[in-house]
Amino acid sequence: MRHGALVYLGAFFALALSWTGFVLTPQMQVGQMVATNTVPAGARYPVARPGLAQQGLQVYRANGCAYCHSQQVWQQGTVFDVMLTDGGTNQPGVVAALQAVMPRLSRPEALQLLEGLPKPVLRGVSREEAESAVKKLTTSGAKATLWIEAVGPDLARGWGKRRSVPEDFLYDYPVLLGAQRVGPDLADVGVRQPDVGWHLRHLYAPASVVTGSVMPGYPYLFEKRRVVGAGSADALALSGDHAPEVGYEVVPKPEAKALAAYLVSLRADAPLFTAPFSVGASGGPAAPATNAAPTAGGGVP
Amino acid sequence: MVSPEAKAKAAAGAPAIDAGSAEETVSCRWPLLVLFLGAAGWLVAGSLLGLLASIKFHSPMFLAEPAWLTYGRVKAASAALLVYGFCVPTALGVGLWLMSRLGRVALAGPVVAGFGGGLLHAGVAVGLVGVLRGDGTGFLHLEFPAGAAGLVFLGYLLLGTVGVLTLYRRREARMEAAQWFVLAGLFWFGWIYSTANLCLLVFPVRGVAQAAINYWHTGNLLGVWMGLMGLGTVFALLPRLAGREPGREYVAMFVFWVLLLFGSWTGIPATAPLPAWMPALSTVGTVLSGLGVLGVAVIVHQTLAGRYGSVWRDERLRFLGLGVAAYVVGGVMQVVEALSGRSWMLHFTWFTAAREWMQVYGYLALVMFGTVYAIVPALVGVDWWSRRFLRLHFWLAGAGLLFVAAPLAAGGVVEAARLLNPALGFVEVSRGTLMFLRLSTIGELLILAGNGLFFVNLAGTVAGICRRALADALRRWGAETTGEGAAA
Amino acid sequence: MSVEMRRPAQPATEGREEPTPQGAVPMWLFILLFVALFWGMNYFDRHGAWFNGRVYAPYRSLAELQMHQPPTGGINLERGRAVYESVCALCHGVDGKGKPGQAPPLAGAEWVLGPVNRLVRIPLAGLTGPIEVNGQQWNLAMPAMGAALSDEDLAAVLSYMRTSWGNKGTEVTAEQVGAVRKEIGNRTQPFTAAELLTVQ
Repeated sequence: MRHGALVYLGAFFALALSWTGFVLTPQMQVGQMVATNTVPAGARYPVARPGLAQQGLQVYRANGCAYCHSQQVWQQGTVFDVMLTDGGTNQPGVVAALQAVMPRLSRPEALQLLEGLPKPVLRGVSREEAESAVKKLTTSGAKATLWIEAVGPDLARGWGKRRSVPEDFLYDYPVLLGAQRVGPDLADVGVRQPDVGWHLRHLYAPASVVTGSVMPGYPYLFEKRRVVGAGSADALALSGDHAPEVGYEVVPKPEAKALAAYLVSLRADAPLFTAPFSVGASGGPAAPATNAAPTAGGGVP
Repeated sequence: MVSPEAKAKAAAGAPAIDAGSAEETVSCRWPLLVLFLGAAGWLVAGSLLGLLASIKFHSPMFLAEPAWLTYGRVKAASAALLVYGFCVPTALGVGLWLMSRLGRVALAGPVVAGFGGGLLHAGVAVGLVGVLRGDGTGFLHLEFPAGAAGLVFLGYLLLGTVGVLTLYRRREARMEAAQWFVLAGLFWFGWIYSTANLCLLVFPVRGVAQAAINYWHTGNLLGVWMGLMGLGTVFALLPRLAGREPGREYVAMFVFWVLLLFGSWTGIPATAPLPAWMPALSTVGTVLSGLGVLGVAVIVHQTLAGRYGSVWRDERLRFLGLGVAAYVVGGVMQVVEALSGRSWMLHFTWFTAAREWMQVYGYLALVMFGTVYAIVPALVGVDWWSRRFLRLHFWLAGAGLLFVAAPLAAGGVVEAARLLNPALGFVEVSRGTLMFLRLSTIGELLILAGNGLFFVNLAGTVAGICRRALADALRRWGAETTGEGAAA
Repeated sequence: MSVEMRRPAQPATEGREEPTPQGAVPMWLFILLFVALFWGMNYFDRHGAWFNGRVYAPYRSLAELQMHQPPTGGINLERGRAVYESVCALCHGVDGKGKPGQAPPLAGAEWVLGPVNRLVRIPLAGLTGPIEVNGQQWNLAMPAMGAALSDEDLAAVLSYMRTSWGNKGTEVTAEQVGAVRKEIGNRTQPFTAAELLTVQ
């Protein structure tokens, strides 16, 4: 190749192509996204995080938390389950229907299954099988529902109810998805651990709440000071090796409170059209799923 | 001044790269030394911070107290120093040198280039302070806050302009592979760095579109830009140092277009919360760009066939050879990582860290070490301050790379297997990697030592010529004054 | 002893310079490239959901995603939108503005916002002949969709039409659709505008 201009043009077109694909198109597809509705409840999602949690995201960014924590839950697939919610009154009919649905079920086992509902009857079947089972069971007088379940190792570990989708991060800046899992995924840490006090103790001395944790502590987000009078209401409830000397208390600085508020605001548990799942085995919508911090749980604002 | 060529010939035991015309040498000397010396300094600082971060795994509360030494900040600073402190200035410096030498023309605007190098280093300094203070952006491979990134970009713009102008003024009409690679690389960096900083820091886009841009930038920076700058250098130097004239360049052309067309689509992991077509396309792009890696292996084999012994005898070639080997290994690792995304999640583990070590340190940094070792004696007209340091640096770098990348890759596979097993608590998952992390800390220690030798050697060489220049000036001044005194 | 960086072949220094036996791209590399391209196309076809911005892995198409939606008692506008975009939007446009020569607009159309019993008949059995929409004359034929879409899906898509693009109509229920379906029986003849106007 003799001409610089040719090389330059080639590079220009190659990069323009990639730029159109991975910068411009996502900007049009997800960059223009607006709030959506949960399915089927129809609640608005996402709700902007509370102000303190938004400040907490800045603490998260400043201290490089994203270097160890991802916020992207992986979903390997979606399966259908049949949940039996109510046995009804026609016991012989229901038992017969159960045996039709689960051919290898003996009569005593079926009777046992009817105790302590709701229980899953079928797991991981196709939609047709599940729907026909629901039909058989409801015809017999029981109440059964089709349950959609997102599956995968992350979800089995309890790291969420479904994969992460752009809606979860709609109002965030910066969006820090993380690249590595030195620590656990945090996409729904606020659901797993809604207690702000726990998060504060964990930030101050991780080993005090998680045995064997390799996470460093963040003592600089806290202040150790002499107890004055009755002591601060914010003081951490530490015990053992991690407790301060007698006469001292550990109180969170505003940054620590903000970070904890951000962590409990990470919920990502709304069922959406793009990431469907059924809320709760017992049927009936659970508490409205939002990005916002729960009002209950944790005494620290 | 003594002629640089004569001095180089007198001083060097091993063959040195030809100094080119005096005009070319003089024009390149100071801008390149500014770039290289600053870069070597950042490299030492970066690997020191990296070692610190690594130690924190064995003792989480080690230096937990000052906020600026917390893991997340130190890690970010160390990554940014390796890429923007070392790789960018050295690769730009080497690129300018190639433009001048291959085009047989003096650098266009050496003062501008020197100033650009200064701005670049100033930007890195501001950025380092910013990251440690907690003003880092949180975006991977774009750690510097907007102001620092602006300085880096301005510095790049000056250096890039000088590079393109030098190419434009070349006396040799035909361009060889190195020149297309460097030209495309100069263009690439400007586009990706400005887009990413504008869309993420200055006028931030909404939601996950930020993540898409960050992935796009990282894929292009590590895959395409580093590929272009390093391979261009290798294609120019490898045959010459091995005593061969560069042949026809069809395979290089193949590699070039594969890298540009497919390499620019890499970097989006399978789990990213982006529409399914993006990770799918990215996986395809990664696999296809793997063919470029094979092409590189073909070229190197064609160039060195029957001459592998010469690689071993020449330290600079050893650096280049190991660098290219790391490029091939890193490329293969990237393909494995992309293909495993749907079943293994290797990309969430230390395997990714190992792959980035391969690509950034193993490939680009080693190629740059070899090149700097090859061209600085010709530039300054004296040999390296210490040849022993040079040889030792190779062993430290090679062993360090092995000790860092191999355990991390193995640890990553173990970690991925454990992540798949939900019965294992996360603490057990992370505990399973500790033994590998300990080994990698040893590797980082070796790398730090090697980088230190590199810096000392470069600084010693530059100090040597400064001292000589000063002594010359003093002698001349002394002769004049004594002459005047005698006359009086 | 120096290595020459310039191209014009100067006399080889001490015979060290010899041409690199670097030549054409080996054939296997090209074959591999084509194999990889073929694989890539297949892979993208399987996992790429054809650039659809609303489909995320592990789903591979909008249809697959729809199949995984929870069953709903009421009207699911999200489902309506999905049905609309896969069935109707080709002619009526994603924005409901219609396409000249293909289909009249739905946004603001009196036929969409008018009586439900009239509207439901159009997709069930099709429509043919001259029709005035938003004050403009059209003369086209629309095929019947009744056999392809369930009552729920039709109700969802019609509800979506009546509440989108500025339309402010009421929702259509699956029962309403079922009633009309029963009323017209297995009619295969498309309706005409004049015939529809008699329905209230």
